[in-house]
Amino acid sequence: MEFSNAIEVKNLTKKYSGFLLDVPELVIPEGFSTALVGENGAGKTTLMNILSGIRLDYKGDIKYFGTYTDKDRENGPEVKEKIGYVGSNAYYFPQWTIGNIKELSKLLFGSFDAEKFDAICEELAIFPGQPIDYSKKNSALSEGNKMKLRLAGVLARDTEMLILDEPASPLDPLMRDKLCQIIRNYIDEGDGKHTAFYSTHDIADMENVTDYVIIIEHGTVVEQGFAEDLKEKYVLVKGESSDADKAKEILYTMNTGSYGFEGMCLAENLDKLAGMDIIKETPTLSQICIAVMKAHSKLG
Amino acid sequence: MKISQSSGVPIYQQIADSFKEEILAGKYKDGEYLPSIRGLAKDLKISVITTMKAYESLEAEGLVTAMQGKGYYVNAQDSEMLKEQHMRKVEGSLMEAIKAAKIADLNDKELIEILEALLQMEED
Repeated sequence: MEFSNAIEVKNLTKKYSGFLLDVPELVIPEGFSTALVGENGAGKTTLMNILSGIRLDYKGDIKYFGTYTDKDRENGPEVKEKIGYVGSNAYYFPQWTIGNIKELSKLLFGSFDAEKFDAICEELAIFPGQPIDYSKKNSALSEGNKMKLRLAGVLARDTEMLILDEPASPLDPLMRDKLCQIIRNYIDEGDGKHTAFYSTHDIADMENVTDYVIIIEHGTVVEQGFAEDLKEKYVLVKGESSDADKAKEILYTMNTGSYGFEGMCLAENLDKLAGMDIIKETPTLSQICIAVMKAHSKLG
Repeated sequence: MKISQSSGVPIYQQIADSFKEEILAGKYKDGEYLPSIRGLAKDLKISVITTMKAYESLEAEGLVTAMQGKGYYVNAQDSEMLKEQHMRKVEGSLMEAIKAAKIADLNDKELIEILEALLQMEED
């Protein structure tokens, strides 16, 4: 399959004391939804902030939509108009009212559609069953509603890419399902030109909306690929205790219990398990992510 | 179309099988386009890459053709085509048997004997 990329990253580094984000190569395919997964402190937010132009103190090259460099991003409005960024922390000032936020967004972004903003606020049920209270202050909203408000702010614009930092975290299960639906609609409306990129701790919630996965650990990309390819690369294997010792040498990760073992095997190593009494299953994205994170974690 | 998350059959396979059945049953006319990849993903509440893989597997089987920027349209189905479909299935299953025979250390002659014995049983 041939794809163009919404973002291409080359030799990106960012150094903090005691932490180095080091990404030699990273792509986010255009027209798909990509999940960024990793432990707390792995560097997810740092990476998203660099890509969205919030953090400028990094080294490396970033290319947007096959055309713009990161210098173009800072020198012209095009890239920032095309990207809708939603952070995990509040960035609307606490004392701003919803009315203020609506007016300011209109000033800041050429494509901001005030009617669409109202429609999305209603769809996301920020004031369920009631008219929107424009005098309500941002600080008076719950964490979930603050997130919905930030989402409405970017969805009301005409963008080509969404960068969402932990959008699902403050949302309830029903709203998480809604978020997946919103992402699917966004991708569908773009007909190959809309890209979504989000970080998440709970990949299980995003399983059926995620096309491409990037896993980072300790500031390094440890795995990236299309979900369907990863599901062929890794195979979930379950077997009997008697084979556990032998299997341990072959499997990528493994858990043993008194009744048997369960582990992730690279498909290329499956042949080496021949002769063992095992069952093979296609892993979920969540299982793959956990296995890859475990294999690279310093938690032990 | 009904998609099961827990049947053990990969989702892309379920989608491909469902379309295959409909195409072979003549529910799609020659040249008719399948639903758009992203539209179908939205309707079925699955990821885009899964529907894409389903369509690619239909293309690999020769049931549909990809048109750059337009989607996938259904190929003319004829009896020759159907025979080809079944031939592929036979070849695939026999390849599986050959692989298994290698693991079990059977030689070619033993493998052929098994096949002949099974054919005999089928006839009886």
